[in-house]
Amino acid sequence: MSKQNVLLQVARRGGSFLSLVRKLWQHPKGRVGLILVSLLVLTAILAPVLAPYDPYDVTQRAEKGLRPSLAHPLGTTITTGQDIFSMLIYGTRVSLMIGIITGIILAFLGALMGVMAGYIGGFVDNLIMRTVDVLLVIPTLPLIIVLTGLLGRSYFVIVLVFVLFGWTGLARVIRSLVLVLKNSNYVKAAELAGASRWYIMTKHILPGTSHLIIMNTTLTCAGIMVAEAGLSFLGLGDPTAISWGKMLAEAQGGGALLFGAWWWILAPGAGIFLAVFSFMRIGIVMEEIFNPRMKASSSIYKLFKHLNNDYLDEVFDSMDDEGTTVPPEPSRPAVLESDHD
Amino acid sequence: MTIRGNWQSSDPLLEMDGVSVNFPVKRAYPFSKRRWIQAVTDVSLQIAEGETFGIVGESGCGKSTLGNAMIGMVRPTGGTVRFQGDDLYALKPKAFKEARRNMQMIFQDPFSSLNPRFTVYDIIKEPMHIRGGASEAEMKAKVLELLKLVGLDEEDLYRNPSDFSGGQRQRIGIARAIVLNPRFLICDEPVSGLDVSVHAQIMNLLMEIQASRNLTYVFISHNLAVVKNVCQNVLVMYLGKVMEAGTSDALFASPQHPYTKALLSAVLDVDVEASHERILLQGDTPSPIDPPKGCRFWQRCPFAMKGCKTVPAELVDVEPGHQIACHLISGFSAEQTAAGLGEPVSAHSES
Amino acid sequence: MTDAVLEVRNLKVAFPAPGGVIRAVEGIDLTTKKGECVALVGESGCGKSVTALSIMKLLRTPPSVSRIDKLQLDGRDLTHLTERDMERIRGKDMAMIFQDAMTALNPVMTVGKQIDEVYRRHTKMSRKEAREETVKALELVGVPEARSRADSFPHELSGGMRQRVLIALAFACMPKLIIADEPTTSLDVTIQAQVLDVLRSMQQEHDVSALLITHDLSVVANMADTVYVMYSGKIVERAAVLELFTDPRHPYTEGLLASVPKLSDDKQAFVQIPDTVPHPMHKPDGCYFHPRCSHAGFRCDQQMPRLETLQNGRQIRCWHPLRQERAT
Repeated sequence: MSKQNVLLQVARRGGSFLSLVRKLWQHPKGRVGLILVSLLVLTAILAPVLAPYDPYDVTQRAEKGLRPSLAHPLGTTITTGQDIFSMLIYGTRVSLMIGIITGIILAFLGALMGVMAGYIGGFVDNLIMRTVDVLLVIPTLPLIIVLTGLLGRSYFVIVLVFVLFGWTGLARVIRSLVLVLKNSNYVKAAELAGASRWYIMTKHILPGTSHLIIMNTTLTCAGIMVAEAGLSFLGLGDPTAISWGKMLAEAQGGGALLFGAWWWILAPGAGIFLAVFSFMRIGIVMEEIFNPRMKASSSIYKLFKHLNNDYLDEVFDSMDDEGTTVPPEPSRPAVLESDHD
Repeated sequence: MTIRGNWQSSDPLLEMDGVSVNFPVKRAYPFSKRRWIQAVTDVSLQIAEGETFGIVGESGCGKSTLGNAMIGMVRPTGGTVRFQGDDLYALKPKAFKEARRNMQMIFQDPFSSLNPRFTVYDIIKEPMHIRGGASEAEMKAKVLELLKLVGLDEEDLYRNPSDFSGGQRQRIGIARAIVLNPRFLICDEPVSGLDVSVHAQIMNLLMEIQASRNLTYVFISHNLAVVKNVCQNVLVMYLGKVMEAGTSDALFASPQHPYTKALLSAVLDVDVEASHERILLQGDTPSPIDPPKGCRFWQRCPFAMKGCKTVPAELVDVEPGHQIACHLISGFSAEQTAAGLGEPVSAHSES
Repeated sequence: MTDAVLEVRNLKVAFPAPGGVIRAVEGIDLTTKKGECVALVGESGCGKSVTALSIMKLLRTPPSVSRIDKLQLDGRDLTHLTERDMERIRGKDMAMIFQDAMTALNPVMTVGKQIDEVYRRHTKMSRKEAREETVKALELVGVPEARSRADSFPHELSGGMRQRVLIALAFACMPKLIIADEPTTSLDVTIQAQVLDVLRSMQQEHDVSALLITHDLSVVANMADTVYVMYSGKIVERAAVLELFTDPRHPYTEGLLASVPKLSDDKQAFVQIPDTVPHPMHKPDGCYFHPRCSHAGFRCDQQMPRLETLQNGRQIRCWHPLRQERAT
């Protein structure tokens, strides 16, 4: 009995992440998102294995401007003769790394600022919120360009600016939630028992914001990936790395449009689209999962598609006074296909 | 200066002397006049150990703020709160924390008073956990004991609050409140959010617990029938001030204040046959921001006199164990009556 | 019954859910007469709000499934009307007063405009004429300075005022039936008394039939003419208000009445009904109330009692009613 309970406890705490993944898997759109993200991550990790050619190797250049073929599934570039398929695979690394790393840093920073502003309030709140106001006004693109001019072209500059300016959105949202949570009665009860501020922040407030942080971070990653692609396209960021944005810039500069080398443009474009799409999918499905009202409507609609009308008739008949004496146990299932929780 | 009634005890567990709580209202412009919400104004009371003290009023009357001031959650802007003889807000942080462990609160809304991510075990164990000093086994034993006491099972230990009904959640809240063996418990509308048939269950549980542990309750409610049945002493509040106070017997036997009478007549009775004269008040409860200088009830009072608007009403004894703050009872001074302040206000003006 | 305004026969509502079906309403009959205030009393989860929404045909078919034999308003059959037809009826012949005024009123529209809308939708009034009627309606429900108040937004008004606006909205076109779902639950006691007073006088003056849905027995005692008691989806008792309160027949009604603390009580323990309401998906065998019933006896755990109609129109669903009387 107690062993079961212990397992239940562990399952509840550590398993809440697993249960989230499970719920995402059960949702059809979520499943798509999960599969795509996993594929992307695997591609990034296994890039050297998956790519047929090493795009960094200068000697391995085939003929320039080749159309897609068996040897080169996505053709080669016009300017340098690199295999586009390999470049695409390697490009995953840059996008994902920047997207995920920046996203995680922003999650920490934004949550920390939001919780401090919301819970401590007063001067700290004012300070943080006015800082947010100032940061929102500063235009980031010119700043990146200027800093790149000063510090050289590297992804460090891009990540730095994203991190310095990107935490504001999450901080604001978290702060609003914290203001509500702060006034919860269970927080008051803990304060009465003598809890320190730190205890309340870590045990009650932060866990209460975890859903919001995860969801927001996922969507932020998607946004950062697009932003990075755009910046790489403009020529900022590391010139030696292979990034989808840079590929697009090279395609444009290399006359892909002129020569009709659609494969050169399609590949990085599709890459960016897939990456952003999959993250956003997960983010949106998570919103549905976390928001009980939204969740109900989608799953109930599905339930209705598979309703067993005979069973319903049985149920309604049993409600009559002269009907059966006992409400029927589902002799036939209420729902024809059961893949519901 | 409010007169302290001689019906209150001599060695109270909790005592409040002229307590006022004001909240500032955010200014519209940086230099406009600062306005204040006078949530509680000049309230004095004494609560003896083991008694059930009732605070009655509608929303905006300050009863919740008063309750919060009693347990150290809101610092009064004026007056003192004395718990077990010590000035609560003058204590050093350590002693303050220690004193507060003797006080706990049961909240109105059973749905927001428990952290939905915690298990029942965590919730009830929490006060012990925060305080420290007990082993896991000891805490578990205590939690199980309390679970049984409030009528739940061992199997409920690892469930989440969302698995329970409102009444059951309130029971969990009660278990959490008594786990540190407090002496003083504030019940802030504990049954208002529950179904009628569950009211009685929870009330009976609260009364049993009080009897077996000799707890002191402050019972905040707008339901006069319940208050009458469980409280020894009652305070009727309106817009931050005490309108009428006294022992439950005296007050309900002959309520004198027009507001108390209106409240009682508005408590629709289930007794269909009893016809009672219904006093319907005009208008709505005014805002507690910058309340009127005189009696705060004057705008809705069916018996208001001209002087009620400007002259504040003081609490006076009408009989042993019964006080009231009303010009109808205490009258005006000679000069005031001469100035025509005793004349009734003919039309009720809004605002 | 020729002077029946609302007639509901055999209403059944279920909500399919993963794991089974939520049996919300299990075959109830309701009638109201002109000028009569009928109360539907029950606790949370008994299905009374679902009943109200069904009558207004506001329940959508996912997530609910419903069956009804007869739904008539003032002789007109509503069972097979389309949504479009229902839209013409709602607000004009049949209106609802919701519990929470803040969510029932549009927060970005002035209250005056919202009432104007009702008039303009159901009659051919011009904007000016509608506004005149709106001001009259607001005055009727006791809103002071009605003309200027009509330009306020809902959040600028107090709770009691908002509820009065809801009453004005409902009575605007003088409907034949008003359904009030917990109209005063969220209000303070003294405001509640005022609002109920307005509701009662409006209803009686204009001979409007009202269906009052509530869990508060004291409201019922002061407002209703006839009472239906509902438990777990079924009507368990129906009686005239005086009879119900002085001579309840169903053990649940008796328990409910006893558990309401009265001012006239002496200091005693509170009378309680043990345990809790059955889960809407897993109801007990036999009579739904029997596990909690102090009068349960033979047959109660095996078969659901029929709803018997007694001589004077009283109805009772119980194998062992208190003070038994022979059925017609």
